[in-house]
Amino acid sequence: MAPPDALLVVIRHAPHGSNWLREGLDAALVAAAFGQPVQLLFMGQGIMALLKEQSSGAPGQKATLPTIDMLEMYDIDKLWVAEGGLQSMNLSADSLVEGATLIADKEVPGLLHQHTKILNF
Amino acid sequence: MILHILTKAPDSSAATQMQQAIGEHDTVLLIEEAATAALDTSWAAWQQCQSRIFLLSEDLTSRGLAGIAANNELPTLEMQGFVALTEQYEKTVTWY
Amino acid sequence: MQYGLLVMGAPYSSPAPHSALRFAHALLSRGHQITGVFFYHDGVHNASSLMAPPQDELNLREAWAELNQQHAVQLDVCIAAALRRGLMSESEAQRHGKQSYNVAPPFELTGLGQLLELQQRADRLITFA
Repeated sequence: MAPPDALLVVIRHAPHGSNWLREGLDAALVAAAFGQPVQLLFMGQGIMALLKEQSSGAPGQKATLPTIDMLEMYDIDKLWVAEGGLQSMNLSADSLVEGATLIADKEVPGLLHQHTKILNF
Repeated sequence: MILHILTKAPDSSAATQMQQAIGEHDTVLLIEEAATAALDTSWAAWQQCQSRIFLLSEDLTSRGLAGIAANNELPTLEMQGFVALTEQYEKTVTWY
Repeated sequence: MQYGLLVMGAPYSSPAPHSALRFAHALLSRGHQITGVFFYHDGVHNASSLMAPPQDELNLREAWAELNQQHAVQLDVCIAAALRRGLMSESEAQRHGKQSYNVAPPFELTGLGQLLELQQRADRLITFA
């Protein structure tokens, strides 16, 4: 169960495709810095943010993984991954960073309902 | 209970993700590009959310889809109805 | 009821700002109030005073400014999202050594914390993106 007044930040966009991921994670970090309990839900392409083999690409491409690694320092330790999304991308759970937790697709509506606040990126 | 607002077409990944997130008592409002859902009565969300899914009429009208939505007997709401839905639902989530 | 609006689409690229404005006027006409509008992601472009659409198109920056004048609606723009997209106030332009600026009152550059505060304070937060 999510604590009362918890914020759920939904991440649906991949690294490097747009700035949605970066700005979504920024919102999560700022909320956590303000003392709000925050959980993250990764859906669809957003799951790619958790791929542990991400490394520095071309010069000037800012990496996402350092931000993902920072989440724990901000007490954001619930990183939910929608299972169906993982499967439809042909990814396995062991390709993801430590701390990612699979959630069955049918549990997703319940996760949204548990949270009093939701931001969708 | 959540009001889901979809702004992208029914074949978008935003639509697929929204469909995964819709709970039993949630309601859906289709605005902007999602107005094209009027063209596809076989779209799964019409069944999934029967009587809890609406098209925003002014976005239908501007796209030339109002007549088609009426012929397909799809439920529509005016902008005032949109506001009324947000009065009822404490949480809204926009899928884009 | 108190409403907060989160706008994340750019004018003339996305229908989101126009939907948000129509929604804003509709909710005011039903007797509600707007606690504030927060512009984030590409939505920060709504604040540009340098936008110059053709005369037969709505000037969205002016439409937001009008909403502020008529209903004292606070218009907050995320500073980090704005700066990286080349939107800045006079003081930020000076700080960054830029020749010109394009964000002026009633739009205010502010931190992301303002969005979270808006979400806490308002009875409803509606996202347009």
